[in-house]
Amino acid sequence: MTDEKKTQIPDAQAIAEGAEVTKEMVQEYTSQNMDMDKMWITMGPQHPFSHGLWTLKIQADGEIVTDADPIVGYLHRGWEKEAENRTYPKIIPMADRLCYASSMMYTHLYCMTCEKALGIEIPEKTKYIRVMADEINRLQSHLMWLAAVGTDLGNFTAFLWASREREFWMDMNVRLCGARMTTNYPRIGGVRNDVFDIDLDMNDEEKSRFMRDIVRCCDHFDKALWDIIALIDNNSTFISRMVGTGIITREQCANLGITGPAMRGTGVDFDVRRDDPYDGYDLVDFDVPVLSAGDSYARYMIRVEEMFQATRIIRQCVDKIRSLGRSAPYRLKVPSRIPAGKTYCRIEDCRGEAAMYLVSDGTDRPYRLKVRSAIFVNVSSSRDLLMGCRIADVPVIMAMIDMCLGETDR
Amino acid sequence: MSMEYIEKYRDGRHKCWKDLWIVRPIFVTLKLMAKTTVHRPITVLYPYEALWNPDNYRGRPGLDFNKCLGCGMCAKYCPCSAIILVDTPDDAGKTVSRPQINMGRCSFCAYCAEYCPVDAMTVTPIVELAEYTRADLIYGPRRLAYENTTEGMKVRNEVTLYSDFQNGKGEIRQSFFGLDRPELDEKKCISCKKCQKVCPTGAITMVEHGTNAKGKPILWPEVSADKCVSCENCVSACPKSALHLKEVC
Repeated sequence: MTDEKKTQIPDAQAIAEGAEVTKEMVQEYTSQNMDMDKMWITMGPQHPFSHGLWTLKIQADGEIVTDADPIVGYLHRGWEKEAENRTYPKIIPMADRLCYASSMMYTHLYCMTCEKALGIEIPEKTKYIRVMADEINRLQSHLMWLAAVGTDLGNFTAFLWASREREFWMDMNVRLCGARMTTNYPRIGGVRNDVFDIDLDMNDEEKSRFMRDIVRCCDHFDKALWDIIALIDNNSTFISRMVGTGIITREQCANLGITGPAMRGTGVDFDVRRDDPYDGYDLVDFDVPVLSAGDSYARYMIRVEEMFQATRIIRQCVDKIRSLGRSAPYRLKVPSRIPAGKTYCRIEDCRGEAAMYLVSDGTDRPYRLKVRSAIFVNVSSSRDLLMGCRIADVPVIMAMIDMCLGETDR
Repeated sequence: MSMEYIEKYRDGRHKCWKDLWIVRPIFVTLKLMAKTTVHRPITVLYPYEALWNPDNYRGRPGLDFNKCLGCGMCAKYCPCSAIILVDTPDDAGKTVSRPQINMGRCSFCAYCAEYCPVDAMTVTPIVELAEYTRADLIYGPRRLAYENTTEGMKVRNEVTLYSDFQNGKGEIRQSFFGLDRPELDEKKCISCKKCQKVCPTGAITMVEHGTNAKGKPILWPEVSADKCVSCENCVSACPKSALHLKEVC
């Protein structure tokens, strides 16, 4: 076969001079010279499937994906280097910008790392306020993910409904810290303001309207989430796109370092909130949803269940904060200089395990601040997730890791 | 797929839906239709009506010109270096230094309001800041003026000292300004009075402590606890680094 003389197609100049090219010649030429059974498709950085600026190159054999290669770094802005030139309090608003959807978590993580480095214990009320704020953030982040999944699957109703429910939590965010997304709420040694300070009911100072409304929001949301579930959970088109796609196993999770809902969807029963409790998570009662299927549907289910658990945690925190009252301390005055040393701290982000590693040198600025982003690790598993699936399933499988580029590229 | 979790926490509600797989979504949709017919829409017609925002909403910073001390705490704590102090004539014609904010750099973190010792800087609900040129985005002290009408616009800065908290007291102090005060290294002091000149609150008085070999009086600064706002202006002004801020925690 190889010894045979290959068909030659006339080049551009020959065609211009009048050489003929027949259909048969082209077919013969391609079958001899080109590997047409596999091709690389580039999705992104500007593609409706990529929520943010990143590229996913997939190798497709017909309709089946045989290889995938994520490329990130379009949003790299030197966050870690920037942090080295700032004093410790000035990094808090920067930590907000790490991830627009879970800004509270990263700010909380940063403050927690500094507190650990200083070796201080924060007041009980602060712990509950932080946990409550974190869970509000988790809810709005998961709802944004649910809305994104809706559009990825062509289900625009789910997008609108999830966005509508998210607005209530955004309103709670505004009232708690004065901004919808870049919250800037935790401080090193406490939180910015007391929950009783906002929207005071002038007739009764102990009854804060924020505290009243957050319980109302929880009540409303529990019902509303059942409505969204009723709309999509048992929908046959939804199930056919989700069940059995993007399967990963426990072993793959361990090898790739996948954390968060994607890991719990494969049957690994681990949650930093429960197994390595930080701040107030050991003081509240909640369950960690775990499913063993390891497919997209399991990941979807875990996130939805986490939303129910989040309202459960918020209710407990509100009760505890109410019982502690206005007079309990919530913000400590801490030294501006952190003693030399190395500190590692981790947190259960909405998307997985986020961590910060702080090297301090005794001055008022960090020597080095390393961020471990859950998504940066999770997205590296895209090859294992996408192997063998169809091209049409790629958006929904990648949506299940809840891409956020701000924290990935930093 | 393993349903152990779902069966435990969903109370069997998912099961009844499976039997009524088409009835339930239709019911939910009709319920929403009835709801939206009765209630007003959740969105607002933006240019004609605006969203309600609470008092603590972090729009552009506002300044009470006459309250401001010109201490520069806002400029010191601004994470974006958007604030600089400029010399401006005040109402009496005297030149004073007041903050000027480049709103093109502002990140709306409200640190300026939080670290303002006298609550001259506040958060405001103003968010419509679009301008045609970048120069228009620079807000001078007079342009920043905003009438502070509600208590909510002040960012509170109550703290508890860590030492108090450890001892089980947990007393909340109204403000963290003035807790840290400059401390003098008497050996380095050359009695130049620069610290007294830069102090925005007049907290520093020069107290005579005998005379030196040439017969001139030795003046050491003494800080008044009521007036000091921990702005560190004296610390940075000291030519001999004789002052440093002693932190109380």
